[in-house]
Amino acid sequence: MKTFRHWHQNKNFHFALLTLPGALFLLIFLILPLISILVFSFWRTESYELIADWNIENYKTILGEKTYLTFIWRSLVMAVSVSLVCLIYAYPVAYLVAKRGGRYRLILVLLTAAPFFTGIILRVTAIQQILGPIGLLNMALQTFGLEPIQILMYSNVASAIGLVYLWIPFMMLAIYLSLLNFNFKLLEVAYVNGAKPWRAFLEVTWPLNWIGTAIGIVLVFIPTFAAFVTPRFLGGVNGALYGNILEHQFGATGTWALGSAMGVVLFVICLIFILIIWRTINLQRSGYTGEEF
Amino acid sequence: MTAVGPREWTVVIAQTSLLIFLYIFLYFPIFFIIYVSFVDNTVWPFPPEFTLEWYERLWMMSDFHLGLFNSVLIGAGTGALACIFAASAAIGLLKYQSRWRGLFAVLYLSPLFVAGILIGISSLMFHRNILDLPGHLSSAVLANTTQALSFAFLVILAQLTRYDWRMDEAAMVFGARPTRCFWEVTLPTIWPSILGAFLVSFILAFNNLDITFYNIGAIPTLPTIAWGTLRHGIEPELYSLAAIINGFVFFILIILFFLIRLGLVRLGYRGE
Repeated sequence: MKTFRHWHQNKNFHFALLTLPGALFLLIFLILPLISILVFSFWRTESYELIADWNIENYKTILGEKTYLTFIWRSLVMAVSVSLVCLIYAYPVAYLVAKRGGRYRLILVLLTAAPFFTGIILRVTAIQQILGPIGLLNMALQTFGLEPIQILMYSNVASAIGLVYLWIPFMMLAIYLSLLNFNFKLLEVAYVNGAKPWRAFLEVTWPLNWIGTAIGIVLVFIPTFAAFVTPRFLGGVNGALYGNILEHQFGATGTWALGSAMGVVLFVICLIFILIIWRTINLQRSGYTGEEF
Repeated sequence: MTAVGPREWTVVIAQTSLLIFLYIFLYFPIFFIIYVSFVDNTVWPFPPEFTLEWYERLWMMSDFHLGLFNSVLIGAGTGALACIFAASAAIGLLKYQSRWRGLFAVLYLSPLFVAGILIGISSLMFHRNILDLPGHLSSAVLANTTQALSFAFLVILAQLTRYDWRMDEAAMVFGARPTRCFWEVTLPTIWPSILGAFLVSFILAFNNLDITFYNIGAIPTLPTIAWGTLRHGIEPELYSLAAIINGFVFFILIILFFLIRLGLVRLGYRGE
C-alpha cells in the first residue's frame, strides 16, 4: 500500500505536472500576445514601425469616426442574424439526429462537419461561383427566361449565406452534443402530465439544453463577427465587414498600432457578447448537478 | 428507435427534409468544386468539356507541392503538440480532483472564444516584436496550437468523462507507478479519442488561413497560396487538389458507414 499512499499524497504535484505545461503554453502563446496587442494599441506607428509613444488616438479614431462605427455595426448585425439563422435551422435537425439517429447518429453529424476538410477560401469561392452574376443560379434562371436574383449577387445577404454555410456545423455539433446527454424520457413525463409538445419543448428541452445551445451561439457569433474572407468574396462593394478593415491594417497600410486597437475592440465586443449569454445561464435550471465533471 | 405516433410523423418528416436540405446545401459547393476540377471551361462550366488538365498541372506545379508539404507539416506539428498538452491536461483534470480545475478548464477552453484573426494578429505582433521570432513554420505551429489545443481538449475530455478511474487505482494498488499506469492502462483505452483529437487539430491547422497567414512569413501553404492568387481568380489546380482530399474523406466515411452497418464499430453508441 506504500505506493498507493505515495501517489495519493502527491495528488497536487501530479495535477500540476499534467495540467501546467498546457496552461503555460496558453499563457505564453495566447494570453501574452493578447496583452501585447493591448499594450501596442496605446502606441503609434510610423512608417511600418511601432513607436512607444503612449496615446489613445487609436481608440479615438475607431470609436469617433463614423466609418469605423458603421463597420462595427454592420458586423454586429451580421453576426447576430447569422447566429439566429443557424440556431433556428440547426436545432430541429440536431434534435432529429440525436433522438432518432440510432447507431448512425455520429456519422450523420460527422457528415455536417466533413466540409471542413475543404479550406474556407475554396468553399467560399465555390459559393461565389454559384451565387455570382455569372454563377450557376443566375445563369440557370436566365436559361429559363427568368430575372436574376439581384440580392444574391455581391451583397450582405450573399455574405450571410456564406457565413451560415461555414459555421452552421458548429451550431449542429454543440446542440447535438447537448441533446446526446439529454434524457428524452423527461418529455414523456411532461406529456403524461398534460403538456402540449411546444410547452414541453419550451419548459423542458430548451432550458435543459440551453448551455450547449449558448455555446453553439457563441461559436457561430465570434467567427462571423471577425469574418474577412467571406465578405471579401461575396459581399461586393458595400459588403466589407469589420474583419476586412482589421485585416487591412496588417496588410498594405502596416498601421500596427491602429490594427492592435481594432483587435482589442473586437475582443471586447466578443467578450461582452459572451458575458450577456453567460448571464442567461442558470446552472440550477440547466440540469447541471456538478457530478459529471 | 422510439415509437413514433401518427401525429409525430409530420414533425419527423419536416425535420428529415430540413436535414436533407442541409446536406444538399453543405455539399453542393463541394460537389461543384469536384465537378469544376474535371472541366476545361472553369468560368462557366456548362456544357462541360471534360479534361484532366488540372490534375496533370497539379502533378507538375512545384509551388503547390511545397504548399501542400508545408500545410501537412503545420497540421502534423500542431496536431502532435495539441494532443500532448490536451491529453495530459484532460487526464490531470479528471484524475486528480483539484480545487483549481475549474480555472484550468476555463483556460483550456478559452481559445475557442477568441476569433481566429485575433489569435493571428496578436501572435504576429508578439512573436515579431517581443520574442523576435520572424514569420516561420514554427511560429505558425505555435500560434495554431493554441486554438487546436481547445478542440483536442474537448474531444479527449468527452471520452475521458466515461473512463473508469478505478482501473487506474487497481493498477496503482498493484504497484504500478503513474507513468506505467498511463502507458499500460489509460492509453490503450483512450487512444481513439487521442487519434480523433489529432485529426481535428490536423485539419484545423492544415486548412487554417487567419492564424497561419500572419505567422508564416513568405513561406507558402495551401490556404495562403489560395488567398494570394485571389486577385486573378482561384486557380483550378486548387479545385483538383480539394477534389482529391474530398475523395479521400468520402472514402473514409463510406468505410465507416459499412463498419457501423456490420456492427464492427460502435462509436460510443450503446443501444437504446
